Amino acid sequence: MTCDETREHLLAARRGELAPDSRAAVTAHLSTCAACAHEDAADALLGEALEGRLPRHAAPAALTRRLASDWAATRTAGPARRPARWYRLAGAAAAAVLVVALPLAYLRGTDRAASTRMVAEAVNDHLRILSSQHPLDVESSGIHQVKPWFEGRLDFAPVVRFDGDQDFPLRGGAVGYYLDRKAAVFVFGRRLHTISLIVFRADGLPWPTRGLERVGGAQALVTTSRGFTSVLWRDGELGYALVSDVDPADLTRLAERLAPPS
Amino acid sequence: MSEAYDLDMAGWRRPDVDALGREALAYADALYNLARYLTRNPSDAEDLVQETYTRALGAAHQFTPGSNLKAWLFRILRNTFLSQYRHERHNPMVGGLDTVAPITPGETPVEWLRGDLELDRLRKVVGEEIERALMSLGEEARTVILLDLEGLTEVEVAEVVGCAVGTVKSRLARARAALRALLRDYAR
Repeated sequence: MTCDETREHLLAARRGELAPDSRAAVTAHLSTCAACAHEDAADALLGEALEGRLPRHAAPAALTRRLASDWAATRTAGPARRPARWYRLAGAAAAAVLVVALPLAYLRGTDRAASTRMVAEAVNDHLRILSSQHPLDVESSGIHQVKPWFEGRLDFAPVVRFDGDQDFPLRGGAVGYYLDRKAAVFVFGRRLHTISLIVFRADGLPWPTRGLERVGGAQALVTTSRGFTSVLWRDGELGYALVSDVDPADLTRLAERLAPPS
Repeated sequence: MSEAYDLDMAGWRRPDVDALGREALAYADALYNLARYLTRNPSDAEDLVQETYTRALGAAHQFTPGSNLKAWLFRILRNTFLSQYRHERHNPMVGGLDTVAPITPGETPVEWLRGDLELDRLRKVVGEEIERALMSLGEEARTVILLDLEGLTEVEVAEVVGCAVGTVKSRLARARAALRALLRDYAR
């Protein structure tokens, strides 16, 4: 085997990807050629440096959340993404035209897309709870242990009207994100099912105005998406999203306890 | 129109596409990392990744179940990058694939001494230096090195960059040699 041939196979040889006869030929060449042995040693050190020391850039959390939300929303409502920078100017111009001539049908479409986006984010948050190995930052069945734990961790005080009981025991809480803001996540149980209650600041969000149902004293959006039932409502300055795969009637029963009284 | 798309329109395969979405999102970090090294800045990298997912969603019905989703996403990302940043190809950086001569056999004793120093230098090189050197390589070299680091096989890399498997092998070898040459230059 020549030096050129050997050098082409050095990486594969170190990774054990060569056939036995080729590997033997490389080994034999390296034992007699100091230059190729040096190449092999230097390339191995380069590999160590690349694998161990080259900075690896993780996707920003906001981007990951946006991607998850967009994928889920687009499945049912068409693209609702942050436009790439090279399209933003054109997008802004188009938006200006739309503002001038916004038809009622578009308003309805926007409302539907907003609902889909908010529901998709709530389901994604619930899935993150389910898939996390350590979903709870604080584990306790006592609301008076869980609520104080959020102090200093959020820019609002979560209000939860139901403390949990035998039917819906409180398991604990965690800090999460809902769209662009921090959220308090309370986790309840229903037999073997997990129920996530996400509490967040309600301001600035495109709350749906159509298709709402009365749940307790709140006007709530009750939907089913990807096998999960979601109940979204607003109570003063706070927004609530209750998500689970339990029986929808059970989830509504819990929502009625959490919503403001009628 | 593919069978998968027809099935999806009928609602039968929707869970599969949703599962594809969840699986695709698991590669967000890997895609963003490649995007950062290709675009060289965070904002463009975010745009590139977002555009990649949008295109992937639009082409989900073309994805062959059982094939390598990660490689498929990388291919979309790189094609998107080339279509948006093609001008870079007309302004290649120094240390591109074809600009660095590999070390030839039959070196002089002086080169041997340099070789010893090179090994010592490579043991001490820090992350910022490797990053700077990698950023100095041309797009093809950066791409093959990063895809190799992601664990893609030569066959998969060949699919991503659209070339023969043998070409990937030689490109990777030359890219690594170019990287070493740049790191040697930093040490002088």
